[in-house]
Amino acid sequence: MHPTKQHQFEPKIVAFVCTWCTYAGADLAGTSRLQYPSNVRVVKFPCTGRIDPLFILRAFQKGADGVLVSGCHPGDCHYMAGNFHARRRFAAFRHLLDFVGVDLKRLLFSWVSAAEGGKWVEVVTEFTESLKTMEPMKEFRALEGQEHWSSLIDTPELQESYDAIP
Amino acid sequence: MSRIGVFVCHCGENISRTVDVEAVAADAGRLPGVAFACDYKYMCSDPGQNLLKKAIAEHRLDGVVVAACSPRMHEKTFRKAAESAGLNAYRCEMANIREHCSWVHEDRSEATAKAGAIVAMLAARVSRNKSLAAITVPVTKRALVIGGGIAGIQAALDIADCGHDVVLVERDPSIGGHMAQLSETFPTLDCSQCIMTPKMVDVANHPKITLHTYSEIEQVDGYIGNFSVKIRKKARSVDMSKCTGCGVCMAKCPQKKIPNAFDCDRGLRPAIYVPFPQAVPNTPVIDRENCTFFKSGKCGLCAKVCGPGAVDYAQQDEIVLESIGAIVVATGFDLYDIGKKPAGSAIEGYGEFGYGTLPDVIDGMTFERLASASGPTGGRIVRPSDGKEPKEVVFIQCVGSRAREKGISYCSKICCMYTAKHTMLYKHKVHDGQAYVFFMDARTPGKGYDEFWRRAVEEEDAAYIRGMVSRLYQKGEKIVVMGSDISVGVRVEIEADLVVLATAVQPRQGADSLAQKLGISYDKYNFYSEAHAKLRPVECATAGIYLAGACQGPKDIPESVSQASAAAAKVMTLFSRAQMERDPMVARVNERLCAACLACKKVCPYGAIEEKEIRDRQGNLVRTVASVNPGVCGGCGTCQATCPSKSVELDGYTDEQIMAMIETL
Amino acid sequence: MNQTMTPLVDPRIWDETTAALRAAAAKLLTDGTVAAVVGYVAGRRSGSAMPAIVSTAAEAETLIFSPSCTNNLSLYLTRSKKSIGARGKLAVMVKGCDLRALAGLISENQLQRDQVVILGLACPGVYAAAADRRQPLSAENIAGKCRECSVRTPENVDQLLGRLPELPPLEDSEAAELARLEALTPPERWGFWNGHFSRCIRCLACRQVCPFCFCEQCLCDRNRPQGVEGSPRPAGNTAWHIVRAMHLAGRCAGCAECESACPMEIPLNLLNRKMAQELKELYGYESGTEAQEKGPLTSYDEKDDQSFIK
Repeated sequence: MHPTKQHQFEPKIVAFVCTWCTYAGADLAGTSRLQYPSNVRVVKFPCTGRIDPLFILRAFQKGADGVLVSGCHPGDCHYMAGNFHARRRFAAFRHLLDFVGVDLKRLLFSWVSAAEGGKWVEVVTEFTESLKTMEPMKEFRALEGQEHWSSLIDTPELQESYDAIP
Repeated sequence: MSRIGVFVCHCGENISRTVDVEAVAADAGRLPGVAFACDYKYMCSDPGQNLLKKAIAEHRLDGVVVAACSPRMHEKTFRKAAESAGLNAYRCEMANIREHCSWVHEDRSEATAKAGAIVAMLAARVSRNKSLAAITVPVTKRALVIGGGIAGIQAALDIADCGHDVVLVERDPSIGGHMAQLSETFPTLDCSQCIMTPKMVDVANHPKITLHTYSEIEQVDGYIGNFSVKIRKKARSVDMSKCTGCGVCMAKCPQKKIPNAFDCDRGLRPAIYVPFPQAVPNTPVIDRENCTFFKSGKCGLCAKVCGPGAVDYAQQDEIVLESIGAIVVATGFDLYDIGKKPAGSAIEGYGEFGYGTLPDVIDGMTFERLASASGPTGGRIVRPSDGKEPKEVVFIQCVGSRAREKGISYCSKICCMYTAKHTMLYKHKVHDGQAYVFFMDARTPGKGYDEFWRRAVEEEDAAYIRGMVSRLYQKGEKIVVMGSDISVGVRVEIEADLVVLATAVQPRQGADSLAQKLGISYDKYNFYSEAHAKLRPVECATAGIYLAGACQGPKDIPESVSQASAAAAKVMTLFSRAQMERDPMVARVNERLCAACLACKKVCPYGAIEEKEIRDRQGNLVRTVASVNPGVCGGCGTCQATCPSKSVELDGYTDEQIMAMIETL
Repeated sequence: MNQTMTPLVDPRIWDETTAALRAAAAKLLTDGTVAAVVGYVAGRRSGSAMPAIVSTAAEAETLIFSPSCTNNLSLYLTRSKKSIGARGKLAVMVKGCDLRALAGLISENQLQRDQVVILGLACPGVYAAAADRRQPLSAENIAGKCRECSVRTPENVDQLLGRLPELPPLEDSEAAELARLEALTPPERWGFWNGHFSRCIRCLACRQVCPFCFCEQCLCDRNRPQGVEGSPRPAGNTAWHIVRAMHLAGRCAGCAECESACPMEIPLNLLNRKMAQELKELYGYESGTEAQEKGPLTSYDEKDDQSFIK
């Protein structure tokens, strides 16, 4: 990263949150008129247990620069154990994404309770600020433009054949 | 093709101050699938709702997005309005552009852009919404109460008084629980049996209550509204229909020296016995383990002297099957026996206190029996070793409780009050006696509780010493109590005649196996887990099963009674209608796709998923699939996220709906 | 390059095992204990082997065991091969890695333990996918997954066939490659995987050959919604492989048949091994030869790691 880069792009953030805790916490931030950056789009779920890793992947594919997943603190899940299963699922998934080359600074997990309006604001603000210091996420976007694998001309023989086309 | 209506609310100025609502409505009108869009000052008002209903009719809308406040505020309002206009309630969604947008972003262009994005997201979602109908589950209006202590008795009476059948199952030969063993109860010092026995008799006489004593729960199947319960009525060896309660059998029984558990093994009883004189039912039971006839085939005296011929040595256990709609669990507590470390116990032993080896070291319940007029000493407080009246009694608080290192981290709640009570009972009986109490804190928050405790300290001369005890040992006839007084920072040694330990409270023996039969959760101490610690303290996560009394956590009599009535109220809510109506956002298995790996069953927090057989017309098993019980499913969706093929879907939060939202980014 | 390849074990080891398994299979069939035996027979090309289902003592004489026996035969007990299971009780020959898959299938209710006779094979190792089957098994041509195998003598079997000779220690090339990748930066790793995923032709052989890919409808074949794009573009391929690795996490037996079957030589087993490594570190989980009640992602502990959660 160039320290002098003034790359002030507006990151697109998708937040997958649970109804009973984080969504309510975000509502509380609203009722309290706390202010935070407007980059986040909230998708509501009954429980973090419902959040499929595929949604995170899809969000990145659709152009999200950052994905936030947030739910109830362990032990407080409205459905008792949904967030315990989610915790394991995401612990595993983030290692997979990291291994494949996704920058984990773009994937944030948090526990925000219905009473933590302030924490919601803190999490979103910090995440937005941190993403602003990075570039727009290009990994998945670059793939969208790529067609069939054979369009990759990556050997001299292929290049030669390609060039020979009149 | 969808015909969605978008209604953008100004919410007075709450939204319109920072969001250009007209622009949002105009943009929404251009979204694919949106047939109608408008803005309005107050959507939740009567005219606002009428606007909604009119638009649904005029524009033949099949989906509606109300862009306004949080759905947690008005989703019900708008869903009801939509339903009344003929549109299924679940085709109405709210876009939160107030709490999540206008109230938190000052910049008008940013807020407007975000509001537009939120509306687009919800419009895409609504186009995938399906009509859903509330799920109805039939309810058998018959309650089961497990446990005949004060909590179980109260719950049974409350439910029965509403006109519903109650089956009350008690493990011991009589109902009454621990309250029946107490001498006087705090904070009023009224006689425990006197206030309890009228309720016990009410239970016995109530036309709606079926009482099964000396019985245990054998098996529980089914689910809320539709339980099937097997009860094992253990063989009393006495025919209840013939016994008149005359007591001749007990008087004539040659085996008279069996320790009586009701008296904490300090009193003695015959082999054919009722646990205490006020027992309900007043029908004796033969203790087959100790009865001469059952051990050696000799004797048989009680059968000979029984006038009505009620003694029946050949009686077998009987299994009774009951159909039940709701279950209240009120199995109560026991005190820890802290001398030994029972298998699986959370608590380490307290060998240093000599409980079980020093005869004059007793626990709180034993003290109650000594103090009780109907107890083994006729109400005289005497030393177990020599029957002499103790002149110096030391009470030690928090034995086992609040001791994470020893195994129990919780406070047993009742001991501060009962120890203060004990000092007063002692003083009332031994006027020249001196009570000492080693304590850490005085936890007396209830109504009249602190005043009660202060009475013990200030008026009844109980010497409260703030400090703990490290050791007890026998010295001649006395017990030396080595403790400390931390208020002044000295070691204290008292030579006591009697030591009473306020031992920790634990759930009853077998609490865990009962929980497993019921399918309810329990914590590491075997206390039953409530559905939500603050907002649902008398319900279990398992639908249809409710908690009352100390089985859920240490508590005193007023709280147990309150909780029992609360549990009864919950049962009455369930019974108040012919069918139970549940939110339709539950999971459903696509039986064509399901490969029956049952991962969903493993993760379901409610145990709502079972394996189901699919048979052909000839009855041959074709395959099995997972199946969700819509009466039990809580609607979390963990099953769907776990299923690799998404053969189980959560209605209202399908992958289609969620993906549609993500696609709008 | 045959002069540098020293045989790893005496080739007669496999002859012994072959004799033992022929006898065991014949007995099970003639006794009527099983309706059929799933095993390996010689393939058409010299030195190769292929799966076979034999149902008579005579056919049992054609069964073999050799380093070419790479297939995971537990695949033939899954629901897509209904006609095999419909014959009745089966015996199946399994190497240690295959047995882990079989145990997993039992854990996932796809198979009843009492419907299968498990014939465990003591296995020194099998060939890597591209190895010349005519050469003896050596440190150079042994499959990556075999190098540090811990289940060469599988336990929890009904019969153990063959014996394991002394084996020299082999360097774990997969672990080395895993460590090499982990030491790279995320963009470098992305480049590595993109280089592979962009060559994927979506033949889905990896799915066909995996015993745990038994879903009646694969998520990637769904179009309402289409979560994973169907066409073999790099975007869709990346999603496919990520989703598959996630769906196998906590279930994969490590048989590496997916990597073996891949015509584009994508190092698929690295993904599965990475997930296995993480699940072991996080939850102490390892794929085993006995059926388990729950897997690491269908259970939880209240004290699970949450250091990554704010």
